Amino acid sequence: MCSGRVDLEFVLRAFSNGMDGLLIGGCRLNECNYITHGNYHALTMVLLCRKIMEHIGLNPERLRIEFMSSAEGNRFAEVMGEFGNEVKELGPLGKGKGEGIDQNELKSKLAEITKLVPYIKLVKNEKLASRLKNPEEYDKLFTKDEIDKLFSEVISYYIDPEKCQACMTCAKRCPAEAIISAKNQIHVIDQEKCIKCGTCFEVCPPKFRAVTKISGEPVPPPIPEEKRTIVRKGKEK
Amino acid sequence: MKYPDQFNQEISKNKAVHIYFAQAIPLITYIDESCLYLKEKKCRICEGVCKNQAIDLNQTAEKVEVNVGAIILSPGLEPFDPKVRDEYRYGKFENVVTSMDYERLMCATGPYEGEILRASDKRHPHKIAWIQCVGSRQVIPGGNSYCSSVCCTYTQKQVILTKEHDAEAECTIFHNDIRSYGKDFERFFQRTERLPGIRFIRSYTSIVKEDPKSKNVTIRYSIPEDGVKEEEFDMVVLSVGLNPPADVKDLAKRFGIELNHHDYCKVNPVNPMETTRPGIFVSGAFQGPTDIPESVFTASGAGSQCAQLLDYRRGKLAKERIYPPERDVSEEEPRIGVFVCHCGANIGRVVNVPDTVEYCKTLPNVVYAQEQLFSCATNCAKEITDMTKEKGLNRVIVAACSPRTLEPLFRDTVREAGLNQYYYDMANIREQCSWVHSKEKEEATGKAKDIIRMSVARACLLEPLQEINLPVNKAALVVGGGIAGMTCALSIASQGHEVYLVEKEKNLGGTARRIHTTLEGLDVQAYLSDLVRKVNQNPSIHVYTDATITGAAGYVGNFVTTVKSDRGVTEIRHGAAVIAVGADVYKPAEYLYGEDDRVMTHLELEEQINKGDEKVVHAESLVMIQCVGCRNEDRNYCSRICCYESIKNALKLKEINPKMDIYILFRDMRTYGFSEDYYRKAADKEVKFIRYEPQDKPEVKVGESDDGRPVLKVTATDYILGNRLEIDADIICLAAAVIPSAGSKEVSQLFKVTLGPDGFFQEAHVKLRPVEFGADGVYLCGTAHYPKLISEAIEQAYGAAGRVLTLLSHDTVIASGSVCEVDEKKCMGCGQCVAVCTYSAIEFRETKQGKKAVVIPVLCKGDGLCNSKCPTGAIRLKHFTDEELLAQIDAAAEDE
Amino acid sequence: MEKELEKIEDQIRKSLADSIRKSFTDSHFGDVMVVGGGVSGVQASLDLATAGFKVYLVDKAPAIGGHMAQLDKTFPTNDCSI
Repeated sequence: MCSGRVDLEFVLRAFSNGMDGLLIGGCRLNECNYITHGNYHALTMVLLCRKIMEHIGLNPERLRIEFMSSAEGNRFAEVMGEFGNEVKELGPLGKGKGEGIDQNELKSKLAEITKLVPYIKLVKNEKLASRLKNPEEYDKLFTKDEIDKLFSEVISYYIDPEKCQACMTCAKRCPAEAIISAKNQIHVIDQEKCIKCGTCFEVCPPKFRAVTKISGEPVPPPIPEEKRTIVRKGKEK
Repeated sequence: MKYPDQFNQEISKNKAVHIYFAQAIPLITYIDESCLYLKEKKCRICEGVCKNQAIDLNQTAEKVEVNVGAIILSPGLEPFDPKVRDEYRYGKFENVVTSMDYERLMCATGPYEGEILRASDKRHPHKIAWIQCVGSRQVIPGGNSYCSSVCCTYTQKQVILTKEHDAEAECTIFHNDIRSYGKDFERFFQRTERLPGIRFIRSYTSIVKEDPKSKNVTIRYSIPEDGVKEEEFDMVVLSVGLNPPADVKDLAKRFGIELNHHDYCKVNPVNPMETTRPGIFVSGAFQGPTDIPESVFTASGAGSQCAQLLDYRRGKLAKERIYPPERDVSEEEPRIGVFVCHCGANIGRVVNVPDTVEYCKTLPNVVYAQEQLFSCATNCAKEITDMTKEKGLNRVIVAACSPRTLEPLFRDTVREAGLNQYYYDMANIREQCSWVHSKEKEEATGKAKDIIRMSVARACLLEPLQEINLPVNKAALVVGGGIAGMTCALSIASQGHEVYLVEKEKNLGGTARRIHTTLEGLDVQAYLSDLVRKVNQNPSIHVYTDATITGAAGYVGNFVTTVKSDRGVTEIRHGAAVIAVGADVYKPAEYLYGEDDRVMTHLELEEQINKGDEKVVHAESLVMIQCVGCRNEDRNYCSRICCYESIKNALKLKEINPKMDIYILFRDMRTYGFSEDYYRKAADKEVKFIRYEPQDKPEVKVGESDDGRPVLKVTATDYILGNRLEIDADIICLAAAVIPSAGSKEVSQLFKVTLGPDGFFQEAHVKLRPVEFGADGVYLCGTAHYPKLISEAIEQAYGAAGRVLTLLSHDTVIASGSVCEVDEKKCMGCGQCVAVCTYSAIEFRETKQGKKAVVIPVLCKGDGLCNSKCPTGAIRLKHFTDEELLAQIDAAAEDE
Repeated sequence: MEKELEKIEDQIRKSLADSIRKSFTDSHFGDVMVVGGGVSGVQASLDLATAGFKVYLVDKAPAIGGHMAQLDKTFPTNDCSI
């Protein structure tokens, strides 16, 4: 397994579990154990996550990535010792200098972001795959504004009950099984399950265009179950 | 009582009872000759304290007689001992060390735990000098006339590492030439040279004195600008050359083999692994001063030649392992056993192992826990198997070292107990715990418990996985019919495999068709025609000439390659592929090449010499210009063979026409190894060597000599005399660079292998896997890898054949069970996984529900990058699933 | 004439090889001894063992690895030697 296998969700889970610091070790850049150079992906994930941490009021220094070869036992020991001391100095999670977030608030914020992980992976796809040449580029890859915008303008998908013809296309294709559907029943997106991948938006037949993209606004409430049955005019006649 | 530690070059001390070095294999203690009992029949304390009564001081050497069908001699080398020469002051001045001493000083397991310290005052040296060619390139008693080949580059490595230890260090290297002739060496040299505080000084040196107080060492040297100078250094490193093994004469006598005049093994020039005695082969530095990659592929080459000789015995001596049938435990609750290893003192000295074992017993699903001294020892491994059976365990955890080395062993142990091997997990409490927190014992014990708890959490979720047994097609494909390709094909075919040899030209032979002799005097054309004859006559070798490869599909053991040739279009099925496409020669655009027919490349010159062209062999004056088209911005590498070629042509010309004036304009003469002798011979025959700098290249103009002869006027700066030289040349020979073969890129794409920055094929690991690619089942040899001499190409060809044969000798290859799989329902067809998988192991398949990703398990290497890229969680890396890893993360947070 | 000679020579060689081979098969020859356990010796032993031969690896030191094990790092990648 490669350091590129370390998922954003893992990092969030560790902090959500109350870990005070997290270090990811990977092969030296350009000395990939595989041929995929996954350590660059681990690096961009960490850079993104550090910005997210700042966004929710955590000290980004709590997350670090270090590149070393499996032969550098000494360096590993050194780095671990150093990082351990740094984390001790930072104090407990959320209570460090400039942090001051309530444990529960932190947990719920982290939970919220964890839910958005699939979405973040999709919209930041290109940047997450970039191969940064020098450390000066690291901090610039993701900006504060960008992250603020990422969370303030989260996209949601909504099926317009007026337009939905209950054709089942979107439901069949939804990778998260987030669409509540049945024949002749207007489809509804379960926003709790939805991962915002946009598959439904893309596959909804153009003649219906029932799925809409909503950005930065609340999603209208789903129509009540009893009103979901479609009365087909054509058939009535 | 402590005695000088031999492994640490006797810089530090060790007890008579000790482990040779921390990662020694076998990792067991032994008693050396410094033992008091062995010397004076005193002491015997160790016998008493050993609980296992493992010490037997009365043990004597035993004579064992074994019958063998073949022998490989790989006795290695002996570093040159500067003590034999007083002027180096080694052993007299405390702060004069050898490069081997310095290796140990730098090393974390060295005498001062990685601190570079002076012997005199145990302080860090700040100003360090390296003296090159110590014991090499010298025709004086006690010295070696040859070049040791490795010292220039190992010194550069030491300089880089020194700067990593101490960024402020000032390093000075006194050298004669920088011989960066190997792959990536030129860049390595530049990296060293560009570091701050580094000086490379071309000068002979002498060690003058030692300051009685500071113990600093003064070196005398001379540079053209300032003349003779003296300078003081904190430490002087002697870059010692390589000698044959110490007991070489005895070794030769014992095995009945001959030595060459340098006391290295005398080898067959067209098969450098062959000694003078049939059945005895040689590999590594005993062939002559060599670097690690050559030592590795000559080993494979020698191995395969033994196999060729003893093919009829293959497999009859090694027993196949038979494992008990796998028990289906999928319906059982996890029953975990934890074995905590002391690793001698490596873990046990820091982590409280008994306490940790007790803790393990309290963890959910753990039904058994015990401690072991060395889990990897045969008896302990058996104990794991036995306890697994006895206690009905269905998951096994060994808390010991890194899985990198020993996981395969423990998986095997688990299989022996009738469990699927993927029910095994390794908790690393050595590299990641005891070695990191050696001074915080209590915390380290806590951390060891954490690590084991995490492992237990993961173990509960482990699934049994099946490794894939891929059938191996026993045929091989060799791409390229030059010397390397043909040698490789013959070696593979000799062990009963079908070989398909594909050559793009009409005739076999490659670049060697244009080479007539070697520096050592081999008749290349006679050798080549013999080789071609052997290839053509071999019924197992199928030759395709005028051929291009139009398609290559498949994977290790099962490739399908489409070849278009004079035989039409053929689809070849093969289990292994060897890339031996060779290299091309640079067509110079400089020095009037192509404009004036008196300017030619060294290959063209050789052809003219061979033809006996009057203009060439009766020229009054001939100038050779080295480094044409390489060691520049466009091609930042050294072509390795040109110095050798130029010396060869110069000597040949001198033989035909001793009166001819020959000038070689060079940057560094890189006649490494034994060819140094010929460089010296050329100088003796009055071939004139004039050095030029890259920023002040020679100039060539058409002109007339003083006596009215039409000549080419060559002007250059002579750095020794400090003036401008003008030479009238009748012929100019350009040492044109060796460049990657034109078809390299296509071949690399077809076989999914990589090219290095210079366009040559990139091996899997420079040192340890020099003839393999990252892609399994594809191998590499000859100049496709990097420019090299004929003998070197042959060595590598045998080496590649050896690796191919280890693959083809098996009926199946095993692919890991830890690969990715796709849950089609969850796949949204976004293609992120496809984009990041450089192994091309993921494809799209059209379904009714749109494009879906599909993993080709045999191509998957289990890195899992796709898993973390997948937004929907559709793709999962088995054995490292989200559930397993998250369980581990959650367990980390649970407190004891 | 020359060709015939070559043929005869080839035949002699062949029968000689066959007889040597036979004598080998009859006795227990067939294993390989590798003298020296440095990087080259270790590689040769591994290759041969993988290919199904029994190998005796002998070294004068108490552990294998040879001089390479003494090196701190290796050029040009500066990877660890062990």
